[in-house]
Amino acid sequence: MADQRPGDVLRGIGEARVSRRGFLAASGFTAMSAYLAACGGSGGNAPALFIYNWADYIAPDNQTKFKEQFNISDENFTYDTYASNEELFAKLQGGATGQYDICCPTAEWTPAMVKEGFLEKIDWSKIPNAKYINPQFKGLWWDPKDEYQLPKDWGTTGISMRTNVVTEDIKTWKDFFEVAPKYSGRIVVVDSPGDVFTAPLKSLGYSLNSVDPGELEEARAILMDFAPHVLALNSDTYEEPMKTEEAVLGLTWTGGIDEMLGDPQYADSTKYQIPEDGTLFWMDTWTILKGAPHLDMAHNFLNFIHDPENQAVETEVNYYATPNEEAKKHIDPEILNNPIVFVPQDVQDSGLLEAAKDVSLDENRQRIWEEFKSSIGG
Amino acid sequence: MTAGTPAGTSKPPAPARDGPSRLATALLILPAGLWYLFLLVLPLAIVVLFSFGERGETGGYAGGFTFTNYDGAFRNASPFVTSLYLSVAGTLLCLLVGLPLAYFIATRAGKRKTLLIILLVIPFWTSFLIRTYSWLILLGRDGLAGWFVDVTGNDSFRILGTDFAVLLGLVYGYLPLMVFPLYVTLERMDRTLVEASKDLGAGRLATFRQITLPIALPGLITGSILVFIPMMGEYVIPQILGYGQTFTIGNALVLRFLEFRDWPAGSAQAVGLIFVMFVTISFYLWFTNRGRQVREQSVL
Repeated sequence: MADQRPGDVLRGIGEARVSRRGFLAASGFTAMSAYLAACGGSGGNAPALFIYNWADYIAPDNQTKFKEQFNISDENFTYDTYASNEELFAKLQGGATGQYDICCPTAEWTPAMVKEGFLEKIDWSKIPNAKYINPQFKGLWWDPKDEYQLPKDWGTTGISMRTNVVTEDIKTWKDFFEVAPKYSGRIVVVDSPGDVFTAPLKSLGYSLNSVDPGELEEARAILMDFAPHVLALNSDTYEEPMKTEEAVLGLTWTGGIDEMLGDPQYADSTKYQIPEDGTLFWMDTWTILKGAPHLDMAHNFLNFIHDPENQAVETEVNYYATPNEEAKKHIDPEILNNPIVFVPQDVQDSGLLEAAKDVSLDENRQRIWEEFKSSIGG
Repeated sequence: MTAGTPAGTSKPPAPARDGPSRLATALLILPAGLWYLFLLVLPLAIVVLFSFGERGETGGYAGGFTFTNYDGAFRNASPFVTSLYLSVAGTLLCLLVGLPLAYFIATRAGKRKTLLIILLVIPFWTSFLIRTYSWLILLGRDGLAGWFVDVTGNDSFRILGTDFAVLLGLVYGYLPLMVFPLYVTLERMDRTLVEASKDLGAGRLATFRQITLPIALPGLITGSILVFIPMMGEYVIPQILGYGQTFTIGNALVLRFLEFRDWPAGSAQAVGLIFVMFVTISFYLWFTNRGRQVREQSVL
């Protein structure tokens, strides 16, 4: 009686496993076709370009224009995506170099990438449009000799709120933490340690890059008090809970909030505040990967994208500030004068913005971040 | 009933085995063997090796030999506990929903049996991610939770970001893996046994306990294990439906490998996970087997 073994049962449900096998076959086919496509691109002499980038980060019109201008067919133009610098770095560390021509890390990640030998030096003679880059974005700590990166766009991390619910006038990170308990369970936070540490450290008056154990311990206390009030850690779609008012307060970037400000349904009740006790200045950069299969085309693209007119299209689609001075002449004045997209010069000069350093491997930060992450919510 | 010949018996080799057929056997086993070696044994060996190493300066793995990774992996046991709790609860809920469903389809559905099976499988034709994101809409402010907020006026009511939402997603996602093994065992059940039991005066409950359940047990064990193992490693559902509030071992592993770039620490935690699963499943199998033996003895 009942001597049927689990193994027999598994065999018995062979039919049910067809879908699994079908899935394997399908994914195998996809991988194969991707491989063949890659061979077709690099094997022949047909013009091609493989980009590894954040999602929706190059204006579709510019992609079409570039392909036409350089005679690249659709199958020879690849745009693969990653969701975080951590993911990009892990993929490259796992051996993805040599597959892509261009990637777009946030600037503070590039020194580690150079150290690992992931990046190719840029041949500036092939990128005449680089002359339009505002000198304030050149020679920064992450690339002092401007060898490896071409600035793409830049922005801030700040406080976003739905003013129809949040009535307080929140100006600083200190205010932010003070009102947090009142909006418990309705606060969304980007899933990015560098940005989250900015808030407590700046509210205490420390550098956002601090690795001082004492300062981090103070920041930890603030974060752990704050954690129970957080609804979600969300980097990709933080604007969605803000739209439905499931979240009414946020520690976010500007992209998703700009989208809301551009929508009449939310514009009047949405606000983004650059904290007056200081915040993070970030910059994304174009880099060329070591062993890029299409080195010349990669340079062509970098030059193309910083053509002032093309660059203006980028800003109007992505809502991030361009470092390209000449492009500003072509940008819709409404966007140019939007203080969230282009931080006003007096704020830039005030010393409120601090560039990120690569402190992601600091042990205390990692320990506190894990503790914070596993304590959010009730 | 075990299929094939027992591996342990070393009697004189069977004369029927001539060269070509042995070659055919070897060739047929080869793909599975290579698969097993290169995609299971070897990666596992690498994980174990890495778990004793040290992190490189910019992350990754840099050789060396140390036990500190294991120290760190178990210092924070809460993700293990969370995953274990979710998996056990999820498996029990799957069983609670799956057993009556499988029983109904196998014994009462009649002509609609095939239709019901197909209905059970159809959701699997859609991407797992899309199905999970659909719950995001159904349970969110534009769905059920929004309705509750409108009715009760409680602005902070929510379903997403709670253990309930995660469990719902888990049960929804893995239910078929529980139903199919149960269905197969119950479908093969000899109905006359049930009649005999009733003829001999056993009530419904006694018949279920003494006839149906023992017959369904192998399917129950298979289904539970099929459901339990992926739930232990589940990352996507807690992340999406739990808003990342439920910090599982899957979240912890992603944190170690992708954010901290600490492959050795991540490997140690992964080995820890394998260990926890090994212990849990061994205990489960021992427990269910023991239950069966005791029952068979008591029947005699």
